[in-house]
Amino acid sequence: MMVSKLPEMDMRQIIAWTIFLIAGLAIPFAVSEAFLYLLGLTMIFLILTISWDIIVGYTGQVNLGHTVFVGLGAYTAALLQVPSRFSGSVDFLANMSPVPVPVSILMGGIVAALFGLGIGIITLRLKGYYFSLVTAILPLVFMQSVYVFSNIFGGEEGFSIGLERSLSESPLLRYYFAFAVFMISFILIWLLVNSEIGLKFRAVRDDEVLAEALGINVVKYKILAFVTSSFFAGIGGATLVHYRITIGPDVYDIPLMLLIILSAVIGGLGTLYGPVFGGFAIYLLKNWWLKGAVQAFPAWLPVNDEVLLYILLIVVAVIAPEGLWSKIKRFTVKKEEALPE
Amino acid sequence: MIDILLRILVYGAVVSGIWALVASGFSLIFGVSRILNFAHGTFFVLSAYIGISLYKYGLDPYIASVVSVFLVGMIGVALYSGILARIKEHEVMIIIVTLAFALLVEQILILLFGEHGISYPSLITGVLRIGSVPITYKRILAFFVAIICLILLEVFINKTRTGKKVSASSQNVEGAMLVGINVDRIFMLTMFISAVLAGIGGILYTQVFAATPMVAMKSLIYAFAIVILGGLGSVRGSIVAAFIVGYVITIVITFFGARWSEFVTLLLIIAILIFRPTGLFGVEE
Repeated sequence: MMVSKLPEMDMRQIIAWTIFLIAGLAIPFAVSEAFLYLLGLTMIFLILTISWDIIVGYTGQVNLGHTVFVGLGAYTAALLQVPSRFSGSVDFLANMSPVPVPVSILMGGIVAALFGLGIGIITLRLKGYYFSLVTAILPLVFMQSVYVFSNIFGGEEGFSIGLERSLSESPLLRYYFAFAVFMISFILIWLLVNSEIGLKFRAVRDDEVLAEALGINVVKYKILAFVTSSFFAGIGGATLVHYRITIGPDVYDIPLMLLIILSAVIGGLGTLYGPVFGGFAIYLLKNWWLKGAVQAFPAWLPVNDEVLLYILLIVVAVIAPEGLWSKIKRFTVKKEEALPE
Repeated sequence: MIDILLRILVYGAVVSGIWALVASGFSLIFGVSRILNFAHGTFFVLSAYIGISLYKYGLDPYIASVVSVFLVGMIGVALYSGILARIKEHEVMIIIVTLAFALLVEQILILLFGEHGISYPSLITGVLRIGSVPITYKRILAFFVAIICLILLEVFINKTRTGKKVSASSQNVEGAMLVGINVDRIFMLTMFISAVLAGIGGILYTQVFAATPMVAMKSLIYAFAIVILGGLGSVRGSIVAAFIVGYVITIVITFFGARWSEFVTLLLIIAILIFRPTGLFGVEE
């Protein structure tokens, strides 16, 4: 990656990041172990939301199959740790010895990126609709693969990689590891989207014809964005497996996809910070107190936490199609402009 | 061997007819209003569930079918004018909202009816035997209803005044407005027809096979394969492609089992996109 000049951060951003970093490092000492576990999962979830933002928010290609890359990374990492699952079907792989955790996480990213490259080459040279249609059905097909090859992938129940293969046996260190992976991913993605390449991504998003006329190879940059996005999704999935020790088809599933979409849309697409805030709010909302909120509804109503989330998503999309974040921002800017001189 | 061929020929025709209904509706609304409706499979499943519920409340199965198809059409209109019309300039949001709507309905159906498969009350009973292959009248009915609906759709679009307004709007929205067509009404009408086609498909499908709330998403796989093969926005292409995809799926299921149908459909889509990305009848834009 060529970064000619480091993009500048203003003072406010530096202060915000310092606070975030200190809070992230200090919070384990203030919360219960169960909540700390949830916070670690949130950090991994944030990797998924910011990586989705690269392809959707920065290049404008609606990827509805992000969870496939999460799942590919996750299953790659899990099978690298438990290669014996291959015995009986792909025997030569069954005798691999398990690799160190960082290698397995990196491999998760690479496998996801390679798959993204293949799908991208086929679909991204066509109109944007084709990309959405194909990525939309990928999760359904990959879910099916888990059941069809259940002796390898473990079917519905999935399988465990064993506590000794997790990030760390201490919940505290596991949280810090997840936090570190998120920070590293964020910094790398931030550098990418604020570099000259990121500028070209946005040019492609805003006006493909104009970008082409300026000499930007539109297809190449779309594919590059997609491969990067898939890579970090794979990293997220692989980290998730090492964090929670188990793997199952839920990593491919559409509800996770919608959760990622909801976070990025609420936060605001193409901002990187938006999906972080959105992801934080939505993930904690869903896993922490939405289940309790459901109890408040009368029992005859067909309501569960997912129903509430989908309604929320539709409402937000109708009120603020360009994202809640930009709506808030515009509201505050308008107020400032309205001030008398 | 002849038995198997005959079975594939007949069963494939039924499956193809049903998917042709679903895919042509999906293609129609995309062609006219550029809405990529991920909730299209939801109309398919909803009509079956509404029809079954009406039947359980004592309605005659034929009346229940007509009422539920009409209701699904109205739900389509409500979805369009209540939500989609407001966010039409945001393509990303259209996709996200229709997908969220599809999952919302799926969850509500699971909460109300459970995840197990349900079948529609029989509209007709009896079995026809050709050689040793039994063909239920239900399948024959499904095939003929599908074909009649497709013919009606063709006649409507090409022969009637309103149908010509629909195809005018699909060719050029601004031009259609300039000659005095109320484009918004046309969009609403198209949404109604599109949802009705999916609704009829859903009832015919649940006559023959069992439906679960999750079929809404799965039916999209086949619908997408068909519209990609037929060319996005081409109704006639969708009908031809439905028979190709329908027969491919039937052959795969007959020889390899149902669990491979999703894989093969995906491979089919990828192959089409590599070799003929504009589909059979699609036009280069």
